Amino acid sequence: MLTDLQLNSILEDFDIAYWKINLFSKEISWSEHFNILVGKPKIEEDRFEFFINHILHPDYRYDFRIHFEKLVKEEEPFSFEIKLKLENGKYRWFECKNQKSKTSREFRETAVLLFVNIHQSKRDQYTIEENFFYYRETAEMTSTGGWYVDTVNKNIYWDDVSKKIIDCPRDFQPAYEDRMNFYAQEHHNRMRNAFDKCENFGIPFKLELKMVSFQSREFWVRLTGKPVYNNEQVVIGIRGVLQNIDENKSNELNLQNSLDIIATQNSRLFNFAHIVSHHLRSHSSNLSLIVELLRESKTDRDKLDLLPNVEDVAGNLDSAISRLNDIVSIQTSLRKEKVNIKFEEALEIVLSSISSLINRENAKIVAEFQDLKEIRYIPEYLESILLNLITNAIRYRQPGRKPVIFIQTYIENDKEYLEVSDNGMGIDLDEYGDKMFGMYKTFHQSNPEAKGIGLFITKNQVEALGGTISVSSTLDIGTTFKIKF
Amino acid sequence: MGQKVELACIIDDDKIYVNLVKKIIEIKKLSENLLIYKNGKEALDYFKDIMENATDEDKLPDIIFLDLNMPVMDGWEFLNEFIKIKNSLNKKITLYVVSSSIDPRDLERAKSFNLVTDYLIKPIELKKFEKIFEKTAA
Repeated sequence: MLTDLQLNSILEDFDIAYWKINLFSKEISWSEHFNILVGKPKIEEDRFEFFINHILHPDYRYDFRIHFEKLVKEEEPFSFEIKLKLENGKYRWFECKNQKSKTSREFRETAVLLFVNIHQSKRDQYTIEENFFYYRETAEMTSTGGWYVDTVNKNIYWDDVSKKIIDCPRDFQPAYEDRMNFYAQEHHNRMRNAFDKCENFGIPFKLELKMVSFQSREFWVRLTGKPVYNNEQVVIGIRGVLQNIDENKSNELNLQNSLDIIATQNSRLFNFAHIVSHHLRSHSSNLSLIVELLRESKTDRDKLDLLPNVEDVAGNLDSAISRLNDIVSIQTSLRKEKVNIKFEEALEIVLSSISSLINRENAKIVAEFQDLKEIRYIPEYLESILLNLITNAIRYRQPGRKPVIFIQTYIENDKEYLEVSDNGMGIDLDEYGDKMFGMYKTFHQSNPEAKGIGLFITKNQVEALGGTISVSSTLDIGTTFKIKF
Repeated sequence: MGQKVELACIIDDDKIYVNLVKKIIEIKKLSENLLIYKNGKEALDYFKDIMENATDEDKLPDIIFLDLNMPVMDGWEFLNEFIKIKNSLNKKITLYVVSSSIDPRDLERAKSFNLVTDYLIKPIELKKFEKIFEKTAA
């Protein structure tokens, strides 16, 4: 058996202090270690009351009294945690428990109360709980999940947040072979490359790509991956985090979109301001020249000679303004709503409005709307676009050749297209390509048929609704206009 | 006014403007003769013809008023072509760009051509016309 001295020394080593309570006299004696722990106080009053008032943390007074009563009266084992003020004035955590007595109740003379220092483990536990709390909160708040891929045993592990991001059931276990199914088709290569590089060469990755949820919804994530090595420095897995950035990404894309719209609108406005300034100025400057000449004219005859010029300027100014009005109306009709329109019906309206032109030129119009029958668009725009492209094709027919216009709609890469091709005279795009959709000819071309504003308006209409128009052409063979809606 | 410009050339598609300038030149007797082309191509063809056939220098203008916005061949294209043949034309030709465009980029671009004496914004006052002709004739 161990002596008291040996026992005390062992208890001390484990930082365990104790009280001995004489059950008859209710006298309490502290172990030497306890006395040292609390700073060897000089005690005038009752030891128990001193402990309660000066050493025990006030929060545990009630609990301690209850347990102490128990200790004296009964033999039930108990254990509870308390905080004691030590000699340095700081509180430390202790586990307080009784010692199970082996002797029967009647023969008990003393009871022992043990104080086990649990401060370190309590603190560790707090730190872990706290860290875990922060980790959880951060993960939830930023919707960041963790994942691990065991590249040796071919297993995938997702944590709860990852599963929430991917929108799969909590008990779902992704199969290794299916791992690519969770990435959007267009990002398979990027993902596979990053993964292979990490697995084979230990190169970490950080990617922004589209994933596909359990419900086949595509969304943007930021994905990081880092190699996990075994003791032999061989990559045995890849571990990383997965962050749902769909909201940010779509905001970013929306912002970019708005920026593009604003930029095109701005350039349209700029273009318009330039047109107004240039084309109205040319008329006003002619007017001032006439005024100067009127001043210089010596005879009534000379003055009268200038009159037809005034008439011409007035006429030109009038038509210039009405054409500018056409351009302004593109902007105002933007407020009109898009509806579903059948190409067939839009074309019918256009053809009936130019039936006399078609008959006169004996033009043949072939329409093929099988692949894309209708579109959400502003009807006036679609009609105006068709009208401009068709009349344009007829106007620039190859002399001596019966004009044939082929109109076709289709879908390519999820985008809607309209193509209008003709067998007309074609145009040298190297020379005139950049002017094709410009405003220029509008106010200058003397040929009354060729107002030249048509293509400019068409381009503006297409772009106002977020589309693009392009042209390809071969001299003497024909021209094709392609609109991406 | 002792000297007078022999031959002036206007390249502009605005008929009214050309008409008015013609009147000014007549009234003020600024030039003996006048060449009028309604786009750059027509003017260029004329110059090329003179160059190739080595015909009279008399047929080359002393002064050119070049518009910028014209169909078929605009002022810029004309300038690019005219640079190439200018040195083969055995005559000092003063060239003014005349446009109603007040776009500063047009002005910059025009001044970047050495052969452009100045950029004139329409309308040009009568007095300005007279000055330009006087300067060229002197």
